[in-house]
Amino acid sequence: MPQKDEYDVCVIGTGAGGGVMIQELTAAGFKVVALERGPKLELTDFLSDDELSVSIRDELFSPGQLETWRPDASASTIQGKINGIAFCVGGTITHWAGWTWRFRPDDFRVLSTEGSVAGASLADWPVDYEEMEPWYERAEWDFGVSGDAGSNPFEGPRSKGYPNPAHPIRETGKYISKGIRELGHTPFPVPLSINSQPYGGRPGCVYGGACGGYGCPIHAKASTYAIHLPRATATGNLDLRSDARVFEIVVGKDGRASGARYFDAAGKEQEVKARQVVVSAGSIGSPHLLQMSQSNLFPDGLANSSGQVGRNLTYHHFPITLSTVDAPVYPFTGVEAGVAMDDFHPSDSSRGFIRGGVITDGNFFVKQPLVYGLAGIAGHPGLKRRWGSDLKRALRDFPNTIQLSAILEDLPMESNRVEIDSEVKDDLGLPVPRITHRQHPNDLAMFQWYEKRMFEIAEASGGKNTWAPESVYRLKDETSAMQGSVHIHGSCRMGDDASKSVVDRWCRSHDVPNLWMVDGSVFPTSGGYNPTLTILANAYRVANYFVEEGKKGAI
Amino acid sequence: MAKEIGNSTELSRRQFVAQSAIYGGTFLAMINLPRPLAVAASHESDSPVTFNPDQWRTVEAITGRIIPADHEPGAIEANCVNFIDKALAHEDASQKPQYNSGLQGVNAASQAQYGKAFADLDESDQDTLLAAMESGSVEGWPEAAGAADAFFETIRAHTIIGFLADPKYGGNQDYAGWKVIGYPGPSHHSGGYTPEQQVGDAPIHPIWEHGEH
Repeated sequence: MPQKDEYDVCVIGTGAGGGVMIQELTAAGFKVVALERGPKLELTDFLSDDELSVSIRDELFSPGQLETWRPDASASTIQGKINGIAFCVGGTITHWAGWTWRFRPDDFRVLSTEGSVAGASLADWPVDYEEMEPWYERAEWDFGVSGDAGSNPFEGPRSKGYPNPAHPIRETGKYISKGIRELGHTPFPVPLSINSQPYGGRPGCVYGGACGGYGCPIHAKASTYAIHLPRATATGNLDLRSDARVFEIVVGKDGRASGARYFDAAGKEQEVKARQVVVSAGSIGSPHLLQMSQSNLFPDGLANSSGQVGRNLTYHHFPITLSTVDAPVYPFTGVEAGVAMDDFHPSDSSRGFIRGGVITDGNFFVKQPLVYGLAGIAGHPGLKRRWGSDLKRALRDFPNTIQLSAILEDLPMESNRVEIDSEVKDDLGLPVPRITHRQHPNDLAMFQWYEKRMFEIAEASGGKNTWAPESVYRLKDETSAMQGSVHIHGSCRMGDDASKSVVDRWCRSHDVPNLWMVDGSVFPTSGGYNPTLTILANAYRVANYFVEEGKKGAI
Repeated sequence: MAKEIGNSTELSRRQFVAQSAIYGGTFLAMINLPRPLAVAASHESDSPVTFNPDQWRTVEAITGRIIPADHEPGAIEANCVNFIDKALAHEDASQKPQYNSGLQGVNAASQAQYGKAFADLDESDQDTLLAAMESGSVEGWPEAAGAADAFFETIRAHTIIGFLADPKYGGNQDYAGWKVIGYPGPSHHSGGYTPEQQVGDAPIHPIWEHGEH
């Protein structure tokens, strides 16, 4: 589409939330300009499954990423690529692993289910499962999710099954299913947005192994890049600008957003004008951008009359166990997750904590040799010495290793937040996001309880020498602190009360009527599942409202 | 953009494999993948570009104790020192000063304790010195050489990477590291694995057997 003086909508960020908005709004005839801070990668870029370059040195996906982190406000910061984010057209979902869960009904009602908890800022979502259900279905069918509907007895009610059958059970799944059953629990296949057969003009998966952390070179893995953006481009209503780093949402004297300012690929300042602005820059980028958009009208940052912008950042927690088994399990093949069990998910305070999470055989620590050799083997019981013949023996366990991974709901805390770090500038001289984050005591208790259960499952699965790899993800005691995450939510929560939330139930700013936020940042609580399907479903829900209201001239 | 994606999504497994096979080695060059700088350097030379001969010898000896040879090759046979030399010339250049000072420390301590350079010690004395480095307390280690334990962690990590990274970076020579641990190599360019291969019902052919890497 040729450039316009003013667009109907400016969408900032092209990941899961922004991608849905771009697809739905362009389909409805809105003229959309989309600003993406990263470059446009080509499918041929995704052919590279060079682990050193893509996984270890992170050379493909996050050019220019710089953040700082500290465990609490009195500590000094460290800086680097703290969180697992992809800066590219299509956003972080470009290199996701495709795990595609629905939240359970009580995940939307944590405050009313649990009551208030000291030190935590629990909240109910302004929407419930019933309202989300049709949008979950829409997202699952757009993405061609492969799964076995009804196989998870702890899932909420669904009105339709999955569009594709589950992937075949792989070798690790056989071991782990046996262990789960032996302990009286129910194994089921993790629903995945990876084609188990050709679907939607995209081929079936070829099980190449380099999946999570990599782009899919054949689009067997669903993504915004593979699905939403091509559809939007085909409408002729999209002006997609890559390498566009937005540093300010511009606000007029009338208090309405009028567009965005950004640096283009040459570092030159540009401005676009639009009647509606959608911020979909992720749970770090979105609050960071609002806070950079200070003005006389909004001295504390845009849309921040509640003081909640940047707060209640949630990370999830990820207990992991690795075990060797007596035969090869070919962990370097196939998708990243096979079977799961959800029996421990329902909240039960008699365990010493509230909330819960799901346990899977997600095997990201044993899929590739460098991640295994550098991180996975840390804590291997055979490593009396971390080098020499002990190291070599532990490395040789690589093809015989099974992994259990849990995804645990962490409690939101006001003090866990994203702010502007005025002391550290990025390559364009912009202040970087500063993250302050430490776990709630409930998170630590949950982590340790789950880790024990996972050792039991691993042993029942035939695992020998089970260990919990030492990493920044492992919560050992009160002094532990996870520096960053690959699941990032909260930071601009939605709610009905304008004094306690940043956006309303339609993800529209309480303060700026034509400013919308559509990404994981609006999650009031984090659920104990990978967040992406909920980001997508919520975006379809908001897009539908946007289009309906737009037709009435009401936005 | 839509057109490019539309065409590419029609790639089936068979087409995908066929395309890789047709283009063979030139496929990579044709599609202009970002090319790591150390790769180019390791193609130019497998003799030192960063280390002086003494440093090369010392690093090689250390890597040989971190991953020793047994009935299969270790880090020396995998040429991990060459990987480190090329990485320090390019992507990991910021770590070169740590190597310069750390290697001085290793040989100063070795001379102080044994009257010989590290590379000339017998294996058990090398291990004793490395264990002291790992603990951060080494007799005869000059203060100017920096923290011994930090240097140990760097060279340990580099040795593992040199052993297990793609051979194009200059280590993992003849796929020695991947053979030792039972990894057949990355598979995007050979079309992935069948469901039968995933459960061991059909053999997996490592990339060094199908000759397209």
